[in-house]
Amino acid sequence: MFPETAQRLKTAAPLFSHTAFLTDLRRLSAHGGARRHLTVGRCLTAKVPPPRNPRERVEIPGLEMVTYGERMHYVPGLAKPATQHWERDYKDPRYYKSPPAHEMLLYKDKPCYMFNQRTSALEGVRQAAWLTKTQVIPGLPAQLLSLAGNPENQIPDQDERVQNAIKHARFWDTTEDRPRKEKYSNTLLLNLLHLCATLQSSHPAVGRRMLAENYSLATTWKRGEDLLQIRGQNGLLLNSMDPLPEVSGKQEVADTVDHVLDTFYPVSPTIDLQKVHVYKEEVNHTGFRDDYPYPHAHTLYFLESADPRCKLRPEQFRTKMIMFTFGNALARAHKLYGTRPQRLLDRPVTVQSVGTNGRIFQFMVFQLNTTDLSGDDGIKNQMWLDEDVELYDFAKVRPLIKKKQVKIPAGLAGYKPETFSKFLALYLHGAV
Amino acid sequence: MALSCLTRALRSLTLSQPALLSSQAAARSNLGAQVPSSAVIQWRGFLTTASLEQNRIRWKQREKYTIRPIGMKKTGGRDHTGRIRTHGIGGGHKQRYRWVDFHRLRYEANKEGQPFEEKVVEVRYDPCRSADIALVAGGERKRWIIATENMQAGDIIKTSGVIGRMAVSANEGDAYPLGALPVGTLVNNLEVRPGKGSEYIRAAGTSGVLLRKVNGTAIVQLPSKQQVQVLETCIVTVGRVSNIDHNKRIIGKAGRNRWLGIRPSSGLWQRKGGWAGRKIKPLPPMKVYVNLPSVSTS
Repeated sequence: MFPETAQRLKTAAPLFSHTAFLTDLRRLSAHGGARRHLTVGRCLTAKVPPPRNPRERVEIPGLEMVTYGERMHYVPGLAKPATQHWERDYKDPRYYKSPPAHEMLLYKDKPCYMFNQRTSALEGVRQAAWLTKTQVIPGLPAQLLSLAGNPENQIPDQDERVQNAIKHARFWDTTEDRPRKEKYSNTLLLNLLHLCATLQSSHPAVGRRMLAENYSLATTWKRGEDLLQIRGQNGLLLNSMDPLPEVSGKQEVADTVDHVLDTFYPVSPTIDLQKVHVYKEEVNHTGFRDDYPYPHAHTLYFLESADPRCKLRPEQFRTKMIMFTFGNALARAHKLYGTRPQRLLDRPVTVQSVGTNGRIFQFMVFQLNTTDLSGDDGIKNQMWLDEDVELYDFAKVRPLIKKKQVKIPAGLAGYKPETFSKFLALYLHGAV
Repeated sequence: MALSCLTRALRSLTLSQPALLSSQAAARSNLGAQVPSSAVIQWRGFLTTASLEQNRIRWKQREKYTIRPIGMKKTGGRDHTGRIRTHGIGGGHKQRYRWVDFHRLRYEANKEGQPFEEKVVEVRYDPCRSADIALVAGGERKRWIIATENMQAGDIIKTSGVIGRMAVSANEGDAYPLGALPVGTLVNNLEVRPGKGSEYIRAAGTSGVLLRKVNGTAIVQLPSKQQVQVLETCIVTVGRVSNIDHNKRIIGKAGRNRWLGIRPSSGLWQRKGGWAGRKIKPLPPMKVYVNLPSVSTS
């Protein structure tokens, strides 16, 4: 029996030194905070032990501390060697540490509220209307709608070609069973834009336009006491050589003085906007050089699923559309009339925008009447908003069958031609 | 005895010849061959190259408040030493933690001392507690609070730290100091020390009663019928906690408790002792929190 236990002890001997080593390690590896015990079976990482108080280092002048530095390993009883903080004398971007915010060059005491393409504003369209000092009018302007009703402005075989465009996006543009939303919404938008562009033969002004992707916008304005900025890359921008004509006349613009902006007490209008202290003041850029031959923003096209990391609800998506449309108009107005607030612009800046998720469209026309946005009184901007317009009801690859009855057949169902006519009207605005 | 002697001997051996990683041992032998013992290079502890961020155990320790749900790690009832602290915990559906702000009277920056109002954005289920929680927005911030019985999206709730001469007529969901409320009000989310954050009466469907106010203190009856005496500056929410039918839900089967992360009890037969059966006890004496030093709001 005795030789057996000796044998067992012999096998256990390396284990002892191993565990002693492990306890040493646990004491030593205090850097970083998180600990990994790759060789320990127990669940040591479940809960964090309370942080230990750092030990006070006593410096006695004239006494040299005996450390285990020379021996290159931990020795119980000897002090831990103090290492001086080492600073890199060369530049290495991998290990760059930014200075704290208040030491940065662009640090300002006054905060700025940023709106970017991922901002999800709580109060939605009301909040955007307050921030941009805008009167929201439901529905599109009448003269725009009549533009699309004119048979001269229609594409030959319009309905059939639009349905083919939808079918291409929803059914044919894939090697899989069905394309994903990110894909088909993009394809559908480009298809519809292509269809609209075929009108160039009858409307030559359509040729004086240019599409731009990934342009970045930056514009600054003051609302009340707050400084606000719109920054970010967003949307597909259709530029044109000629500015859009204004939608409402002088009298209607003057009537907006009576409009009272919606408030939403107790929520502050700047809720959900990013509050930053490090920013550039007076930044104003449309995203294009001054000698760009297509300086006027015509229409912005937004895709709901453009950014997979940021999903916005419909109301928040419309808010984003309003803010960026306004931002484009304001940047252009600042370039034309200077950054000093103007109570009434001589020629209002008009920018349109269209948002889609592949089935539902949002149409918007924004008219910037004033750049004096500080107070709540005076001339307001105007916006016509047509929400949640469906282009079709269903586009099913497989029919929906319930209780052995076909509820929705496969293929495109419930196509609504008036939605595309609105899309076409916005496209032709300024070219007829 | 012989075993302990042997282990002691082994331990002394390890002290004199400390354990080294194989690479370090090699490095040391190399160094020893080239340089005498005064080596300049110092060993700076054990470094792992794996990302330590992915193994985040301090998921609850954040500096800044957030309303985003935080991913939790399951403990299985174990504490930091790895031993079972609480039996019967383990498994269940994955849950995410929503950080509830129990300091109802937390003023916004630069707006100290004034009563403020907030709007309820959403009332929803919370996996981490029996009561429902409400997302409220006011000023430039949003936060989660414990919802009261009839709270709905769109309601405006008020929070005030002022004790006036007259008792206020409070609506459900408002938060006031105990001294400002009339006697007999149903309250919840009770603070026991001013500024500490609510600790009592937070479970679903519970409510306490403000019994009386005695020179600078208030006496509240807890749901257990025990009475506590607290300072009248303690903030409470008026009304009853939401999810009042929490005690009437039917678990239905053993597996549903497992979904909630509750494991069966041991099943070992144990003789019933003094814990079983009905007992008639006098009410415990009133608990007094008044003389304790108050924690100042930070």
